[in-house]
Amino acid sequence: MTKPKVAIYDFTDCEGCEVKLVSLRERLLLLENKIDIVNWRLGQERFDAGPYDVTIIEGTPITDYEVDLLKDLRKNSKVLIALGACAALAGVPGIMPEKDRKFWYEKIYTAQYRPRGVDAVPLSAYVPIDFAIHGCPVDEDEVVKAMEELLSGKTPTYSGNSTCFDCKQAGNKCRIRDEEKPCLGPITQAGCKAICVTGGSPCYGCFGIRKEANISALIKKLKTITDEKTIERYLTMFHSRTKEVNDGKK
Amino acid sequence: MLVINENKIADFLKALEKEYKVYDNRQHPPYGGLTAKKYFFPPVEETFVSEKKGSLKTTKFAEKFVVFGLSIPQLEALTYLDEIMTKPAEDFFYWQRRGNSIVVGLIKEEPDALPGGDIVFVDLGDGNFKILKNTEKGEELIKKYKSYFAEVADAPSKVTDPGMSEWSKTMRDILLDAELLANAVEWSKNHKIWEEMATTCLGCGVCTYVCPICHCFSVEDKIDLTGKCSRCRKWDACTLPDFAKIAGGHDFRPTIKERYYNWFYHKFVRGYKEYGKPQCVGCGHCKKYCPASIDILEILKTILGDYKKSQIQI
Repeated sequence: MTKPKVAIYDFTDCEGCEVKLVSLRERLLLLENKIDIVNWRLGQERFDAGPYDVTIIEGTPITDYEVDLLKDLRKNSKVLIALGACAALAGVPGIMPEKDRKFWYEKIYTAQYRPRGVDAVPLSAYVPIDFAIHGCPVDEDEVVKAMEELLSGKTPTYSGNSTCFDCKQAGNKCRIRDEEKPCLGPITQAGCKAICVTGGSPCYGCFGIRKEANISALIKKLKTITDEKTIERYLTMFHSRTKEVNDGKK
Repeated sequence: MLVINENKIADFLKALEKEYKVYDNRQHPPYGGLTAKKYFFPPVEETFVSEKKGSLKTTKFAEKFVVFGLSIPQLEALTYLDEIMTKPAEDFFYWQRRGNSIVVGLIKEEPDALPGGDIVFVDLGDGNFKILKNTEKGEELIKKYKSYFAEVADAPSKVTDPGMSEWSKTMRDILLDAELLANAVEWSKNHKIWEEMATTCLGCGVCTYVCPICHCFSVEDKIDLTGKCSRCRKWDACTLPDFAKIAGGHDFRPTIKERYYNWFYHKFVRGYKEYGKPQCVGCGHCKKYCPASIDILEILKTILGDYKKSQIQI
């Protein structure tokens, strides 16, 4: 059996999720026995042209060049996977509303600056994607799991569990109930091992909104412990461009 | 009667550590509300492994362990879970852990009948705990570690507060009339309270994770990068979206309203029909840990009130 050809691309982002790929260490070597990474700007000096069996894309498509490249990669890939919150959700680049871009460009970079950025939206706003490995950054085990599923001929699936499941297993206090602090854990997909809450930070939902989560009910609950501005700040950290979240706010 | 002094409990547990892994349930919570069920039925558990073609190995669990400090509701829940994991068929993976374990209760009031566990320590309020032995396994353990225990003359307990919240007491009173509860919850299927729950319940599944009796799980298979195939089972929750989904994508309970009602239905109706008692011990965990602050007692009171009214009208 020939090994599947895999390409790894990155758009605008911090490249932290690709560092996570490198930090798979021995498991990356095991993975390399099963796949052929034929194009990876950050990781190697081989840049074969497509078509590819699997293309993994990290980062948010922001410039026209990135948007065109994304459309091209979609055409040339059997399976297209979003890697990390920037690709899957628009992530941190997506925090800024499109209408405010001009104002901030001028304020930060002066009026002489000629921006190349169009907007910051997830990959799925331009092309259909087959799967998203969520996280900011992604979790190594989730990457391996998706690869294992693809290699065994399965379509990767999203966990139906909430982050609360991870949080309870980690032995954490409940931020919402025990500490009366906001948290997006109940509407967020499991898989992160509750790393943020364990470390004392809130869950901002970087693992993606869980299937059929009751977002409006969480907002109703959060309103009893904090103000609307704080809730908005939580919901826009990763989800300013997520349709379910924007619908849930209504 | 046989007693252990409160100053000797720590030494007793330390001595047990030479032979057993000891889980002290009094240190609560170091584990975010998960009850002792996790020791016998872990949140994620590998069940079968196949490393090469034709070989299939059952995952064995051999560690001997002691779970110490369970309250009356927790002991009752475990007794119920034992029954569920025995009927209609014995659950191999549950029992290989349960069989390796010794469960020690720590309660504040001497019960009429032992709620479960292998040994129960009853607080006498004078620094001593009365030892009640429930099983042969428990008896042997006490015999083996007899230096930690002392024989004293029978004396009545000085404990005035049995340490159960008002919420638990009320809930446990309601649970006593299991038939009424089952009829009321079954009757309530179209009650407007479930509409309200649909806009309150987050559907996150926390209530089932922290419930000492909830036992539904899903099964996942995987092939890892070395070619090892394994099957694991993982706690599931009936309020989650995939729970009642079947091949082809049909969902028997497509909304939170139906899913949340189903949780009640299983606890109070099916529990009664299948085992003669509701699958609830009134521990209050689901109320304490629900991120949306849902109080099942309030729901049950509303349903029971309306059910009784509806019966009078007929």
